[in-house]
Amino acid sequence: MTKDKDYISKRAFMEELDRYRRGSVTRRHFLGVTGLGTATAVLAASVPALRPRRSWAQGNIGDRVVLATWPNYHDPANFEAFTAATGAAVDMNVFGSNEEMLAKLQAGGSGWDVFVPTNYTITTYVGESLIEPLDLARIPNYDAAAFDPRFAGPGTVDGTVYAVPKNWGTTGFAVNTANLGGLPKPTTWKEFWDITRDAFSGRTMVHDYQLTTIGNALKYFGYSFNSVDTAELAEAEKLLLDAKPHLFAINSDYQPSMRSGDAWMTICWTGDGKQMNRDMPEIEYVLGKEGGELWSDFYAIPKGAPHLDAAYALIDFLLDPAVNAKESLFHGYPTPDKRVDALMPAEVLNDPILYPAAELLDALEFGAAVTLTDPNRAELMARFKSA
Amino acid sequence: MTQRGRNLLLLAPAGAWFLVMLVIPLAVVIIFSFGERGPAGGYVPAFTLEQYANLPARWAAFKNTLMLAPAGTLASLLIAYPLAYYLAVRADPRWKTVLLVLVIVPFWTSILIRSYAWIFLLGGRGIPALLDLIGIDNVRLINTPFAVLIGIVYGYLPLMVFPIFVNLDRLDKRLLEASADLGASPWRTFLQVTLPMSLPGIATGCLLVFILLMGEFLIPAILGGGKVFFVGNALVDLFLQSRNWAFGSAVAATLVLLMLVSVTAYMRLIRRLGAQREDVALM
Amino acid sequence: MRIYATFVYLFLYIPIGVIALFSFNAGRHASQFQGFSVQWYGKALANPFVMDALQTSLVVAFVSALCASVFGTMAAVALQGIRGPVRAAFDLLIYVAVMVPGIVIGIATLIGLVTIFGQLNPILAALWPGAAPPQLAMGYGSLIAAHTLFTMALVIIIIRARLAGMDRALTEASSDLYATPMGTFRQVTLPLIFPAILAGFLLSFTFSFDDFIIAFFVAGSETTLPIYVFSSIRRGVTPEINAIGTMVLAASLILLVTAQVLLRTGRRRG
Repeated sequence: MTKDKDYISKRAFMEELDRYRRGSVTRRHFLGVTGLGTATAVLAASVPALRPRRSWAQGNIGDRVVLATWPNYHDPANFEAFTAATGAAVDMNVFGSNEEMLAKLQAGGSGWDVFVPTNYTITTYVGESLIEPLDLARIPNYDAAAFDPRFAGPGTVDGTVYAVPKNWGTTGFAVNTANLGGLPKPTTWKEFWDITRDAFSGRTMVHDYQLTTIGNALKYFGYSFNSVDTAELAEAEKLLLDAKPHLFAINSDYQPSMRSGDAWMTICWTGDGKQMNRDMPEIEYVLGKEGGELWSDFYAIPKGAPHLDAAYALIDFLLDPAVNAKESLFHGYPTPDKRVDALMPAEVLNDPILYPAAELLDALEFGAAVTLTDPNRAELMARFKSA
Repeated sequence: MTQRGRNLLLLAPAGAWFLVMLVIPLAVVIIFSFGERGPAGGYVPAFTLEQYANLPARWAAFKNTLMLAPAGTLASLLIAYPLAYYLAVRADPRWKTVLLVLVIVPFWTSILIRSYAWIFLLGGRGIPALLDLIGIDNVRLINTPFAVLIGIVYGYLPLMVFPIFVNLDRLDKRLLEASADLGASPWRTFLQVTLPMSLPGIATGCLLVFILLMGEFLIPAILGGGKVFFVGNALVDLFLQSRNWAFGSAVAATLVLLMLVSVTAYMRLIRRLGAQREDVALM
Repeated sequence: MRIYATFVYLFLYIPIGVIALFSFNAGRHASQFQGFSVQWYGKALANPFVMDALQTSLVVAFVSALCASVFGTMAAVALQGIRGPVRAAFDLLIYVAVMVPGIVIGIATLIGLVTIFGQLNPILAALWPGAAPPQLAMGYGSLIAAHTLFTMALVIIIIRARLAGMDRALTEASSDLYATPMGTFRQVTLPLIFPAILAGFLLSFTFSFDDFIIAFFVAGSETTLPIYVFSSIRRGVTPEINAIGTMVLAASLILLVTAQVLLRTGRRRG
């Protein structure tokens, strides 16, 4: 891609992307102008492995597939393409925490065909027999060698592949710098919680998700994001209860409030930060210097999925590098798939929101499985919300 | 077959339904409330009072519910009564039915969608933006107890208007004329004739709204931004997030107990106030 | 007084107006109007999940309202002639059924049925002759059963109120004239309580159709319309949801007007 001399500027690229999303230009125009089309076509023709083996387009897979996923995490145009190609409509259920997905599966009969668990939860799903081992022959677009093992690894438990990687990312915070009013831009979790209780009182949002909300309160004191130590959790609880009256809301879908200006700062995932920053440059994405979460999400199939064929077809479709690249450009989360990176414009690959500097990345931790089931963290979060 | 045998046979389906869908599930809730949370969530059998001992951890949710449920009931009553009075006594009889139907019509769109409309109206670009224009700036409405109160009144107003209207509509207008003829001021007529006569309607409306509010989940969830928490929200959280079925059962059992006590006390009070028994017995 | 009423009506209708207005929005967002379009109506009607959810809601509401009316009427009539502990037990059960908040009914049904199914499924599997034994699970059955529980209690209350206002002499006269109990019921009681049964049926239907919180817990893999709307709101509202709400409202209005017209012509003929 980088060999294109007159490569389209980042700004122009994003403008074109926006126009494409609004539907004012066709896909062909978009791919043509941005050079993505040429790149895709050239790469696809020269590397046989890249030519999508359209298993998802063949055979009768039924007329529907149900996906449980996270907010602002898919390009609706890709689902429309999937429906056009296979006849199966995609129903999307959105969740704000892994606990909510687990609770729904534990209560039985979720009705989902595909769900999107995060790295640290998969062992629990396996232990509770809630997840189906994947038949990789039915996901030809999954090429284990193409994926970064750091992000793909958690999908395999005891040698069996239960989940294939979707995206990876970080959990930082987004701040609307227009509201800082002379204050320096916060760069640490300490500043995040301090500003929340001061200049930004009534304007900050935190996730309705124990891992990130408690984890980043723990970072205020420099403790591990994953701590289950009761004394450390007690300190985090004190901070959370102290901050609660100053919060705008506790909600994992913060984009509407941030965009409308009702909220000024929020705990934020990579892609949401990218999406907001793209449309409103004054909203900046910050990784707390103390650290925080590094994560990867997966596609998996729950036990008893009602439309198994459609589930495999959808996963395979979404892992098609061309489709995956479109997803990534839309939602702003990087993929751990080298084949997708090859299709991404250099501007995206150099974007500091998606690919943070090494020293910031090094401070981050992967979520630990114990946090998902730890009764103290669960109860702390519930107490915080009901306080 | 004897009369009694036939009657018992007629009662059998309803009885079976109550047994399987009410008695057994409530019994399970009570049994679970003495158990423990499983390692990955759910429930493991035990006999412990730990869950009940932990109830103070949800004190704020109980407090919110016990304050906002009566406050919401009262606010609905205060707004609904003049409207019901207008519809029953003052409105043009030709338009009465239409006006009454207009009160109920909003009830037919899902309460979810109607509450959602309020997110927009109470959010920064809605009413606060209008207030800003006339010089009152920096008003925050969304995600406050006030927003939840508005949602409650909006959601349950028809339930309050209807029974009061039915009651006032049945009221013999000659009584009002007689009162006026005897020299009573309109205000005195209202206080001494109209209001006492409409007590059964008020009692029924308040009971309906109060019962629904005590178990409310949606309105605080949508308009409270996770900050205004009812017992209903705490319950959803315990079953659908932290997966603590044992503690959740203890909270649910406590809520039911609270309702039985408060509603029974309320009905006693109403009966003592001398409201017509049949109207209250409707609930 | 009139001004006050106008204000209350504005309060009631402004949000509805906002919903209806944004259903004609050409853009994706539910809060910024970007031109007039009816595309979201087309999208909603072509969306198989909306149509499925609507169908599930209609089936559940109809079946549970039917069960509630039939069994509730039977129970209300039978309770007329019953005294003693059975009567007391039923009075208590009806009281509790109406008093227990919907959210507790939902939760209790969920954990009650999940526990019962957990016990029964292995037994069923052991006894089943074939290879794939049926699994008991939450779904249509649990939805209908939970809705029927609550609405049946309402039907019993409504019909008992009607029966209480009925002249006992009528049924006594009927049996004095050697009518069978069934005959008395058909010829005398049923016509008198029919309006109450109809009211109970309609109330049950409305309740079930609009219920979110019970269904949220007991629907299993089924999706009712309120559940669909709830998850749509969570994934970011598009005007499609507004279009669905506006259509449901319009359909109820048409039904109401039709019913009113039918009733009037019926009355005139009678």
